[in-house]
Amino acid sequence: MSEPATIRCENVQKVFRTYRRQKGFAGILRNLFRRETVEVTALADIDLAIEPGELVGLIGPNGAGKTTLVKALVGILPVTGGRATLFGRDSFHLAERHKRRLSLVMGQRSQLWWDLPPIDSFRLLREIYQVDRDVFERRVKEYAERLDVSDRLAIQLRHLSLGQRMKMEIIGAFLHDPEIVFLDEPTIGLDLVSSETIRTFLVELNQGGNGRAANGATIVLTSHDMEDIEETCKRLVILDAGRLLFDGDLMDLQRRIVGKRSVEVHLDPSSAEAAQAGSPLERELAAFGAELVQRAPLTLTFIVPAERTQAFIRRLFELVEIRDLTVERQPLEQLIKEIFQGREVVTA
Amino acid sequence: MTGSAPASGSGLARDLRLLGRAVAYEFQKVTAFRTGFIVQELLRGIERPVVLLFLFHAVYQVGGRDEVGGYSYADTVHYLLLIAFFEKLVFHDRGLDLSLQIFEGYVTKYLVMPMRYFVLPLGRWVQFVALQVVVVPCLWGIGALALSGWWPLPVSGLAVLEALCLILLGSYCHLLLYFILHSLAFWLDVVWSLLVMARFVTLFIGGAVLPVAMMPERVIDVLRWLFPYWTLAAPVELFLGHQGHADFGRGVLVLGASAIGLEIVRQLLWRAGIRRYSGSGM
Repeated sequence: MSEPATIRCENVQKVFRTYRRQKGFAGILRNLFRRETVEVTALADIDLAIEPGELVGLIGPNGAGKTTLVKALVGILPVTGGRATLFGRDSFHLAERHKRRLSLVMGQRSQLWWDLPPIDSFRLLREIYQVDRDVFERRVKEYAERLDVSDRLAIQLRHLSLGQRMKMEIIGAFLHDPEIVFLDEPTIGLDLVSSETIRTFLVELNQGGNGRAANGATIVLTSHDMEDIEETCKRLVILDAGRLLFDGDLMDLQRRIVGKRSVEVHLDPSSAEAAQAGSPLERELAAFGAELVQRAPLTLTFIVPAERTQAFIRRLFELVEIRDLTVERQPLEQLIKEIFQGREVVTA
Repeated sequence: MTGSAPASGSGLARDLRLLGRAVAYEFQKVTAFRTGFIVQELLRGIERPVVLLFLFHAVYQVGGRDEVGGYSYADTVHYLLLIAFFEKLVFHDRGLDLSLQIFEGYVTKYLVMPMRYFVLPLGRWVQFVALQVVVVPCLWGIGALALSGWWPLPVSGLAVLEALCLILLGSYCHLLLYFILHSLAFWLDVVWSLLVMARFVTLFIGGAVLPVAMMPERVIDVLRWLFPYWTLAAPVELFLGHQGHADFGRGVLVLGASAIGLEIVRQLLWRAGIRRYSGSGM
């Protein structure tokens, strides 16, 4: 019986050694003979456990360590401290039988062969992963139809659009029915329709929509696009400066921390004065815990605690003439910003 | 979900199937563009011998000599002609793009796949040799028909086979050498300069710049221990009957030992490179 498709990080650390360049012409000469070593901590004390069948979103600002963590988990990078394991094995020393159960999609780097049509790349992948011919043919047909690229399989990869290329990448990644799939920015630069199609496909395969009765693939999704995370992931992991900032249920996070609404108010021109900086309106509404986050000549956006939203709106109608008003839950971007500003580790 | 069970066979069987597929795709790539095919597969390698013909013509005329190192001008022309043909079978410095893949991070994808990366460069080498084994006799045959009576002919069929055996073994050694140099991209960013330097040195040792027989005896003794000599110069001499079976035996030994040594270095460097690789460009 094969080991369960679990991902584990125990106190994982990754320190890169680099060289500091010395300034000026004399510095250039000194660099030739003696270089100063600098250590950069990319990951620090990461503890993480991902169980089979989970779909986890991994986010963080640039330089947070997301890609380094993915590289460490798939076995491209050895960790310098702690232990990263896949299928219960040290991820840097995975056997071929373990690699066969794994897949990686890099949004910025093609997995497929640039000079070949995708179908030929898929055939190479079939040989690499030793997929049975009938199963291979069925999966290519099914996945291409689901991602709406059936008529593009025989066209050279270089002639496909970005969205079509990414769909092909994802087909290639799932052809061998991997148990764990890492996706690094799979929707980067894609239009809304392509992004949505890919998200739906990922969710279906995570839920076992690959025509098999058993569990779906465990997916770790790295993205800058919050919609990717909100629409696909139940669990969220946030990294910042190489540290784990949050690891838990996305909905729970939204309930516990968000608990806020975004209220956008479009004022009647007769109330234009109220929109100006320093008007009494802002002070008046602050009593409801409201925070003015955006100001335009006739439009104001407030973030208000959810439980006080009704009273806030009632008071707003008393104070100004309103043309239109929208209430939305606080966007995830804002939540993430709050977490980053707080710099607190939050665990669900 | 339990992942795909392997369709069949061991790692070796998989590598062989993958090799076959890689060779087919390499053929597909080199024949995709007609101009590229003509320039890279047919014309490549003929420019230097043509220049050398003029250079040696001048050397023989200015020196006023009939022979240099036992070679008349006509012998030298034959030698350079055969070198040009044989060199087309020798894997060259531009045959791989591994260093670019390392620099730009494209090699990353192979590191998470259940495969030996070397199967792909090997596929390129097999394609290269398979194509040139057809191209070279065709071009040689055209020359023999057009210039019969003057064209250099082999001393025997066995000499042709022995020469071909040495060239192919040497070509494989060149693949390993260039793979090793490309692997240095894990540490260095001057790989292309090293490749150009290595190309020149191997051609010199192989007698493609100057017939080895024209060099001092001591230098020849040293070169006979190095694989580039047995890849080009020795096959030409075997072909023309200047060397015999004993030389062929020594050539096989030197090339075999070189291939083993280079393979060990290749594997060590690759593993060390992977350990320090950070998957750049991801």
